[in-house]
Parts: sequence; C-alpha cells; structure tokens
Amino acid sequence: MDTLRVRDAKDVEQAVRAAIASEQPLEIIGHGSKRLIGQPMATNALLDLSALNAVTSYEPNELIITVEAGAPLADVLSLIDSKNQQFAFEPINTSVLLGTPNIGTVAGMISAGLAGPRRIKAGGARDHLLGAHAVSGFGDSFKAGGRVVKNVTGYDLCKLLAGSWGTLAVMTEVTLKVMPRPESERTLVLRGLDDVTANKAMTVALGSPFDVSGAAHVPGSALRGSASGLVGQLGDLASEGKAITLVRLEGITASVVHRAASLGQALAPFGRAEIVEDAASATIWSSVRDVQPFAANGALGAWPVWRIVCPPASGGALGQALARETGGDVIYDWGGGLIWAALPPKPDAQAGLVRARVDAAGGHAMLLRGSDEIRRAIDVFHPQKDGLAALGERVRHSFDPKNILNRGRMRRETAT
Amino acid sequence: MTIMMPAPDQAVLARRDAIVAALRAIVPGEGVIDSAAEMLPYESDGLMAYRQPPMVVVLPETTEQVSRVLKYCFEQGIKVVPRGSGTSLSGGALPLADGVLLGLGKFKRIREIDFDNRVVVTEPGVTNLAISQAVAHAGFYYAPDPSSQIACSIGGNIAENSGGVHCLKYGMTTNNVLGCEIVLISGEIIRIGGKSPETSGYDLMGIITGSEGLLGVVTEVTVRILQKPETARALMVGFAQVEAAGECVARIIGAGIIPGGMEMMDRPAIHAAEAFVHAGYPLDVDALLIIELDGPGIEVDELIKRVEAIAQGCGSTTCQISTSEMERNLFWAGRKAAFPAVGRISPDYLCMDGTIPRAALPQALARIRDLSEKYGLGVANVFHAGDGNLHPLILYDANKPGEMDKAEAFGADILRCCVELGGVLTGEHGVGIEKRDLMPEMFSDIDLNQQQRLKCAFDAQGLLNPGKVFPTLHRCAELGRVHVHGGKLAFPELPRF
Repeated sequence: MDTLRVRDAKDVEQAVRAAIASEQPLEIIGHGSKRLIGQPMATNALLDLSALNAVTSYEPNELIITVEAGAPLADVLSLIDSKNQQFAFEPINTSVLLGTPNIGTVAGMISAGLAGPRRIKAGGARDHLLGAHAVSGFGDSFKAGGRVVKNVTGYDLCKLLAGSWGTLAVMTEVTLKVMPRPESERTLVLRGLDDVTANKAMTVALGSPFDVSGAAHVPGSALRGSASGLVGQLGDLASEGKAITLVRLEGITASVVHRAASLGQALAPFGRAEIVEDAASATIWSSVRDVQPFAANGALGAWPVWRIVCPPASGGALGQALARETGGDVIYDWGGGLIWAALPPKPDAQAGLVRARVDAAGGHAMLLRGSDEIRRAIDVFHPQKDGLAALGERVRHSFDPKNILNRGRMRRETAT
Repeated sequence: MTIMMPAPDQAVLARRDAIVAALRAIVPGEGVIDSAAEMLPYESDGLMAYRQPPMVVVLPETTEQVSRVLKYCFEQGIKVVPRGSGTSLSGGALPLADGVLLGLGKFKRIREIDFDNRVVVTEPGVTNLAISQAVAHAGFYYAPDPSSQIACSIGGNIAENSGGVHCLKYGMTTNNVLGCEIVLISGEIIRIGGKSPETSGYDLMGIITGSEGLLGVVTEVTVRILQKPETARALMVGFAQVEAAGECVARIIGAGIIPGGMEMMDRPAIHAAEAFVHAGYPLDVDALLIIELDGPGIEVDELIKRVEAIAQGCGSTTCQISTSEMERNLFWAGRKAAFPAVGRISPDYLCMDGTIPRAALPQALARIRDLSEKYGLGVANVFHAGDGNLHPLILYDANKPGEMDKAEAFGADILRCCVELGGVLTGEHGVGIEKRDLMPEMFSDIDLNQQQRLKCAFDAQGLLNPGKVFPTLHRCAELGRVHVHGGKLAFPELPRF
C-alpha cells in the first residue's frame, strides 16, 4: 500500500486532488492508533499526517491552543499540563482497549470524538474544537470556526468535523479550547450496589447542586481480572469483587471538601460513602475513562466491546438486561448515559440483540472493539432511520462527493 | 446603506391569491395573515432599521402543518423565512417581499420535564426564560441567558446559537442542546438526538444550531438543564486604564478561575448606565469590571478573595464586593441596562458584536477610539470580557441625513478590525443581513463555498431564508462540481515509504 507522508496543507491538497483524479480512496492516519475502529475500509493508499506535528501557538491566558493535525496527543497533554491546563472533555486513551502502542494525535482525538467521564459537565470534543483548517474531498483547503471561544460567524463546521472519523475532510490544523485543571478532587465511593440502584444514586448526585464531574459504576463481575492485577486501581479499590459506584467532585480544596460532605449526606440512603482524594482519585478516573477492566491485555481482552450512549436514567436497566442476556459485562459512565459492554465473542458481536435493546431505550450503540471479520459483518456505527441517514449522507457528499476520504468507515458498503 | 436582497420572483407574486388560499387550506382560521395592516408587526426583527412586508404570514400550530406548508412552498418554488420571537439583532428574520414568513409563535408548550435525565423537551416558541421558570421549583435552570431572555424563543436561540453573560462558564446554546425535531424544506420531518448525551453519526445538531434558519425549521427541542449554583456574589472593580482592566481579566483566567460572568464597561458606558440606574458605579475610572463568582458559598468566598487580590495587583482604584443578593443585582443593573441607558444619551445607536482574543482588547479599544474620531460619532463599549466578545454601541441620529450610513460604515470598520486582530465578525448576534457582506473579510471563496455546499445538503433550491448569511448565492449544481486537476498525478513532490 502506498503511504503518502505529507509535510503541509499544500501536500494534503495535492494528495487529495490526485486521489480524486485517479478515483483512489485514501485512508487518513496520524499515528494509526485508531485504525482498528470503524468499518474496515477498502482503500489502497495511506495519507499520513504524522509529520504535521508542530504546536503552532499556545496561549494559556486565552484558553486556546493551536496545533497541527498530527501533533502527538501525549506531548500536547504534557505541554498544557505544564500550565495547569487540560482538555476538559477528558479524551479517552483508546490504546488501553485496543492494545495499540500509542495514544495517537490531536486530530485523531477530535475525529474520534471520544470523551471521558467529565463529558457530563464539560461537554465533548465537539464542544472544545474552536477552529480548524482542513482539506475537503474537493481537494480544497478551507477554514472552519476561528481562534476565539465565542463565535457564531457562519455554520459551525467544527461540530461536524469532531466525531466524523476523517470521512468529511482532512484536518491539517486545529484550535482547541483548554481549561484550568482543578486544584483538587474527591471521589465518593459506594459499595455493593446493583446496577439499577447505582443508576439511581448517580441520578441523585447529578441532580444535586454539588457540581458532579464524574459518575460511574463498575459492577463486581467486571472486576474479575482484579486478582491478576490487570484492572489497575479499580481492582485495588474493590474488595471481594463487590461493585463500586464512583462520584467525582473537582475544584478548589475548600469547596470539594465541603461538597463531598454534603453529597455524602445526600447519598446516605445508598450507603456510607468513602472518600478518595486527589492523586488516588485521578488514577481511578483514568481507569474509568480508558475502560481499564476491558483492557486488551486483561481477562476480557478478546471480547468485543460496545460503546452505548443512552438517556442516563435508563442506563442501569439497559446495562443490566444486556449483561444478563448476553453473558457479558458492563461498566457505566456519565451517570448511566454511557455503557461499555464487553460481550462473549460471537461472529456478529450479538449486534441484533444489543441494537434491539438499545433502540428500545432511545440510545445508540457503536462497536468500539471487534475483529476485522466482525466489523465487516455488522454495522459498526448505529444504523439511523432512513431520513436521518439520507441527510447524513448528503452532508458527507457536500464535503466529499467522490467518497475519497476514509471511504466506508462509518457506513457499511452493501455487498454488490 | 442598502442591503441587496434576492430579487422578488414576479411569477410568485402574481400567484399571491392562490398561494394564500392554498396556505389557508393547510393552516385554518387566523393562522394565515395577508392584510397589510396585520402583517406590520412582522416587517422587521430586532434590527429595526430594516423593514420589509412579507408576501404572507403563516402561523402554524403543529409539526404536521409546518411540514405541509414547507412541502407546498418547496413544490411551488416559494421562499420561506422562519421567525421565532423576532428579537434577532442581525436581521435573521427580515421578511422577503415574495416570501412566506413562517412564525413559530404558536409552538408555546413545554412538552416534558424530565428531572432524572436533566432535560426539558419543549416547543420552539417557548421563551428562554420560561424554561428556567418551569424547572425553578426543583432548583434547576437553563444556563444560556441572552439579555433578551424574557422575549426570545428557544427556537430562535437554536437558530442564532445565542450566548449571554454566563456562557464563559456554562457555554452557548450549542453546548446545552441535545436534540431536536426539524422539518426540512421538502416537508420531511427528521428527529436528531434526544435525551442521550450524544447524537449518533454526524453531529447534525451542532450544525443546525447557529444556522440562522437556513437549514430547516425546528419544531421541538431537547435542552439540558442544570442545578442552580448554591450562591453567587459579584465584585465591581474600577481601573484608571483599560489596559489594567484587561490585564486583570487575563490574570484571573491565568490563575485558573472561570467566573460565572466577567463584564467590562468603558467610561462612556459607565456614565450612561450610572445616569440611568444609579447603581453607584464609580465615575472617575476608565474601565469597570463586574466579576461574578458562583458555586458553593465556601468556594465563592475563597475565590472572591483571590480575585480581589489579583485586581489590587493590577492597580484597581475601586473595589466593591456584594454582600447581598440586592447588592449583586444592583451591580448588574447598570450593565444589563447599558443598551437602554445609551439609548437615553443618543437618539439612535447601533450595537456591534465582534469577538477578539482577550489580549488584543487595549488595541481594539484604541482602534475604536480612532475610528470614533474619524467618523465623528460617539461610541460606548460594553464587553463580555471573559470571552472577548465586544459590544461597541455606536451613537448616531437617524434623522441627520447620512448619519446612519456613517454609523454602519463605522461598525463595519470595527468588525474588520476584530478580524485583523485575530477575532471574528460575530460572537453571539449572528450574521443575518447585518454582517452578510462582511463575510469575505473572514472567509475566502473556498470557505464560503464549503458552507454553502452544506446548505445544499438541506435545501438544494435555496428556498429557506435566502439572502441571509452569504453575500453571494450560488447554484448547488455549480458548487458540487469536482474539478479534476491534471488527471492522474504521481505525487512527484511527496516522500513515499
């Protein structure tokens, strides 16, 4: 397979134009950390953005950073961390689930749009992408958004680029909002709750005025790898394989101490909450964010993993039913609005059953981890109703009419 | 200044009676208005310098009626201008002479309040404030709070991606909307998102929000609601120089503090506001900051101390800290009344809405001062300091010949200056007709073509709100053409592996 290592936006334009001329679709990669996600593609050339790796500008007081698309995420995270700032949407490190060697690039993070626990408070990748330069499937460089937080000039194309898995345009430079890292954090831990009760506890926490920034539940059975030490901090935290329900508070120290006490009282009907502080709390949440119990190198590493998004208050019942009916395991984040489900291997990853249950709950399900064969056999992304799907397809067409960019990654090509 | 609107279609105008009759068959009773006198209130929106009677006004009550009206217009090639409460400051709802004005004012019902999922499902004609009021008994509110919130509709907020003084901390409309039901110009009804925290597939909700009525007509909205912070307190800090106030804003943010609101006023705005509401604003300062901290009492008290110290470090000359709700509201009273206050010192004013990087504030204000001298027109500045959103109010007298044109030219120069300083044309009021012809200052033809191609995906005939946002209209067929550059290229320049 040809690999085109582009050096700048002009190179990207040239590569896309050539691809249009030769009608050869391109697969767009940074570090290739997320190539195992999506429908397998029938492309025969790689457009490699990893050489576009500079930090264009970082202005901590403006709360913005502009980087080239292929800037390594790990480097950018440590750069903003050095100024006590962060991407508030807590991007997932997909290498834990996928077993890939690195965590990828900034544009990869935006294209995937996979936000972590703080999404319930701070929004997703789409809420933090302020501007972008990108090359469309017409082979033209265009600009979306700007370099300021508040901007309603023209259509908000950034929203479309985030989470579009490289199917609309090749981003070459992005401007992101950064936010101050909280001074302190506390995690309240409740033990032994069943999924539905835990869902209720999280609903109480999220409906309180205590500004909860994370609400997750890990059933006991999901921690089965804990004996081997493979589920990290969560395994250490759980005793005797009992479920743990986690609620996070962040802010200045005086405030989190005060809120932890008040929230503990509000949650008293669900048991006495233990409190985990600062660094230990942060480790717990990175395990939740990266779905450590289902890690590629763990006990469930060979199981397909679904990422299910649903109305938060119905998460407990949905997840419980799925686990029971499939013999799989689930983990809840976003107060129940995000369910990670690892299911015993089947050729279709039990897509029919999963989708039927998820549809009934008003949610949607995407297969985040699965073999090539499975991903070829099923719809990786949730099938949409006809009108919505057709509109989405017209939108894609408006950026890439020749279907050059990541052809077929989000939508299964029907066999001919 | 005249804004060129698309030329009225004489063939459509000639069929007006038949069109009115067809619309009456869809929306019975008083839902179709065609008399000149009754259409008067619909001639303009919040940008009142521009007026245009529509061909006919239609006020449907159900999604099905909206769908049938749009389908009829689509089949007949009739233009449609959607309208919420008509508070747009950029002319987004300015009617067209040959267009149907589609008012959503009868969609006034909140359909569902779901505290467990922390969402409200509502019809688009419900006002922004009514949503907060409907959930207040349980301690919740809807965060975006544009200053027109008593009157503006949530559907209009979606169209404009409205902001407000609290959006630095709580986001704009786009960050607080989860889903909608939208009717396309073809009459097709589509549901996007819902109570789930994210939509599936492409983020169409994100593109519809802020699309200024060009992509579809929203008939239902699902918004996120939040618990009200336990308490809020404000500081009112005066500075002898604007630069010092700007530095103070930068240092507060640099210290990791994101206030609920952070507003700045310059000397003319301070004086106008004080004369109007007597809030006790210091009159001997060049810049006044109102900084509001919200959250648990213990957090607010601590942050107030930190902000006060930062302000002193920046050379503040006055600092008052609210000790009661009454006092906090008094601090805000002047800022919130800044527009009418300026209205008292000038027969007319033009409110601009650019955004700049915060660090460029002193430069921007200096440029505005120079322009003020050049045009011989006064200006008062209020400013969402936290997020760099400037609202210069240009003072003029429409009765003096040529002065309105001068004010508009002055405003256009301010917005050009915002773009030059690394900012954008509009932070929260929208492009509409007001900034339409300035779009090329910020976007190239290629940028604008890509945006218009997206429009084609929703409305290939360009029937929904044409003449807004884009300075030049193109045919979708022309925009969609892919140019093949020189046949098969062999990537001669690119390294291969």
